[in-house]
Amino acid sequence: MRRIVRFLASPRLAAALLLFIGAWVTIATFVPQSITSPGEIAAWDAANPALATVVNAVGLHDAFTAPAFIVPSLLLALCTAVCAWQRTGVARRRARVLREVSAAGLANDFALAELSIPVASDVENDEAYRRVVATLRELGIPGSRVGDRVVSVSPWWTVWGTAIFHWALVALIVLMALGSLARASGQMGVAVGQTRPDQPESYGELTAGPLYRWASNDRSIRVDDFHLDYMAGGISRGPTPTVAVLDGDGEVLESRIVYPNHILRHGSLSIYPVDYGLSAEIAMLDDQGAEIQRTVQLLDFDGTSPDGTAPVSEIGLYGSNGQVLNRLIVSVPLDSVPEGFLGRIPKDPSAHVVVADLTGAVLLDEVLRPGEEAALPLGGSLRLLGVDYYARLQIVDDPTITLLYIAGAIALVGLGIATLARQMIFTAGILTESEARIMAVRMRLWRIHTTSKSEIESELRRALGATEGSA
Amino acid sequence: MTWVTLFLYAGATALSAIGVVFGKDRLLGRSVLVAAVGLAAQVASLGFRWVRVGHGPYLGFYEVSAALVLFVVATFVYAAWRQPRLASAGIGVMPVALLLLGGAMLAQGTEVPMTGKLTSFWLAIHVIFANLAFGAFVISFGLAIAYIVRERSSSGAWAKRFEKLPAQDALENLTVRYVLVGFFFWGIMIITGAIWANEAWGRYWGWDPVETWSLIVWIIYAVYLHLHYTLRWHGQRLAWVAILAMPLSLFTLVGIPAVFDTTHAGIGGLGKDL
Repeated sequence: MRRIVRFLASPRLAAALLLFIGAWVTIATFVPQSITSPGEIAAWDAANPALATVVNAVGLHDAFTAPAFIVPSLLLALCTAVCAWQRTGVARRRARVLREVSAAGLANDFALAELSIPVASDVENDEAYRRVVATLRELGIPGSRVGDRVVSVSPWWTVWGTAIFHWALVALIVLMALGSLARASGQMGVAVGQTRPDQPESYGELTAGPLYRWASNDRSIRVDDFHLDYMAGGISRGPTPTVAVLDGDGEVLESRIVYPNHILRHGSLSIYPVDYGLSAEIAMLDDQGAEIQRTVQLLDFDGTSPDGTAPVSEIGLYGSNGQVLNRLIVSVPLDSVPEGFLGRIPKDPSAHVVVADLTGAVLLDEVLRPGEEAALPLGGSLRLLGVDYYARLQIVDDPTITLLYIAGAIALVGLGIATLARQMIFTAGILTESEARIMAVRMRLWRIHTTSKSEIESELRRALGATEGSA
Repeated sequence: MTWVTLFLYAGATALSAIGVVFGKDRLLGRSVLVAAVGLAAQVASLGFRWVRVGHGPYLGFYEVSAALVLFVVATFVYAAWRQPRLASAGIGVMPVALLLLGGAMLAQGTEVPMTGKLTSFWLAIHVIFANLAFGAFVISFGLAIAYIVRERSSSGAWAKRFEKLPAQDALENLTVRYVLVGFFFWGIMIITGAIWANEAWGRYWGWDPVETWSLIVWIIYAVYLHLHYTLRWHGQRLAWVAILAMPLSLFTLVGIPAVFDTTHAGIGGLGKDL
């Protein structure tokens, strides 16, 4: 165990891991990544066949989830934890020394003095102390005279910065790993007026960690309104839905107009707008004309489609045996201008309804206006109830976000202390030895960047050794 | 006004170079003064533009680069004012500011409008800390250059020309200090960017090229700090790391859009703006 700890505590290992991760990540930015540019990978591989072999072998197209990245990152996390532990020990020892120096009233300074600087015979004691204070100030150290000493001692908390920073880094890494296990993130299309349960079947794209619990989730998402170009603060916010989160009883828990930088939050849930499209609400009627089911067909804008829209998914029409026999394909013909289709509800809304069998043979092809019906080949009919917008929402439920923010803030506080605070002890007092006076200096400079030990010594020697022009 | 700024920064660069090469301390002091006047002119220039375009210097290659230059010169003037002996570091700092501002002026006419995705108070925080970090990194770059030049001529003429600088070990400490400060501000930039990305795009990290390169730069400076504090690296080899790292931070802040597709389109990019 001790060997493992010693291995993980090695600064060379930490530096090597940092360098490897830095190099890996750098190379990864020059290779198409599956998470950021999946469409470019095949073309890149074809254009660079020799490199592609190596890149695919080491997993560089998935650079940030490849074992070559994850394993060194985990090892670095362990190194950071061990390092944080060691720094905690160092900080405790230094804090104790600082407290002792403050509490001891500097009683045993002379015994611990590291420097003995002769004081010129024509320099009075008061003048010598004044020169020491002035020299320190010139070197960026605030010192003051306390009785027969010049003192500059950092507060005890200044030594904790780097330990706090490293522990916060460990916490950040752990929380990020936990977050990937405990979060759910996906995109859900919701038409205006529609309510969808926050369950996997409502999502188009979904990534959920193994620790995420859907069973305890009875809320639902509703879109109440939609502005094609919402203005706020004199700036266009683009297509903007009003989204509500409902509890299991249908009560509104939270409602908000959502656009970038103005998201809906409810507990660990965050909802952002990603895109929008159109929706066609359809009622299925039986042979007597009674409504038996309603469905909302979501439609994305598609410049390659003759109507300018294409359904997000097709609807299956079931026969009496419970098998899907026909497919219902709905689109909304858009208004167009010479430049192309207009991405908005047409002035005269309608739905193009196509029913095809499983071989692709078209059995029905009609354009319906709201309120119009069409008879279905398998019996019954369908009625177009209306055309509206739908909002595609990014829905993220991540209980670790708040904790990540807190860990990030703590990391910055620790780093700030480590960066800006001096960690030092300086005391100086005059001793008389066989009629010669010396300035006995005790100096512990753990972290100070405005000067150095040798510079302090040489400047003090200069200040105390000459009468003219030295201080 | 930008031309006035450029002219003054060129003057400060020349004075700094002459001051160091010919060992004229007075010229070094004047170079800081001229840089300070140039800074005032640049503040006015960017202020006028702010009023005209309706937003701060955050968007497009010109504004981003000019803001970086502003913070670099401001950091240098502040450092030289606090510690006049650092004035000769201007020989490494002012040429960077001059070249970057000259490059930025090639895209000066482009005005990028504020969009809904960019309208957030996080934008200002994120960009300001990027600028502060870069300012600190360029100062560390200038100090490291001074360190190396003096080290290579420890008993020669160059040592004499840089004699007003702090002792070599103190100079190294100062370089580390500015790296630390830059590392701190860069960390704030990354974290505020992550929070903003979560607010705007629904994810705090997406391996966008600018995000990735900002992490790379942070890692490189983390390596620098570990080399110094834990592996006890000192001297020229440590200074070289500071010198080599700074251009990477510049590339991250203004060069990425010219090379990669990025969600940080607001940075612009010289080729794209033109």
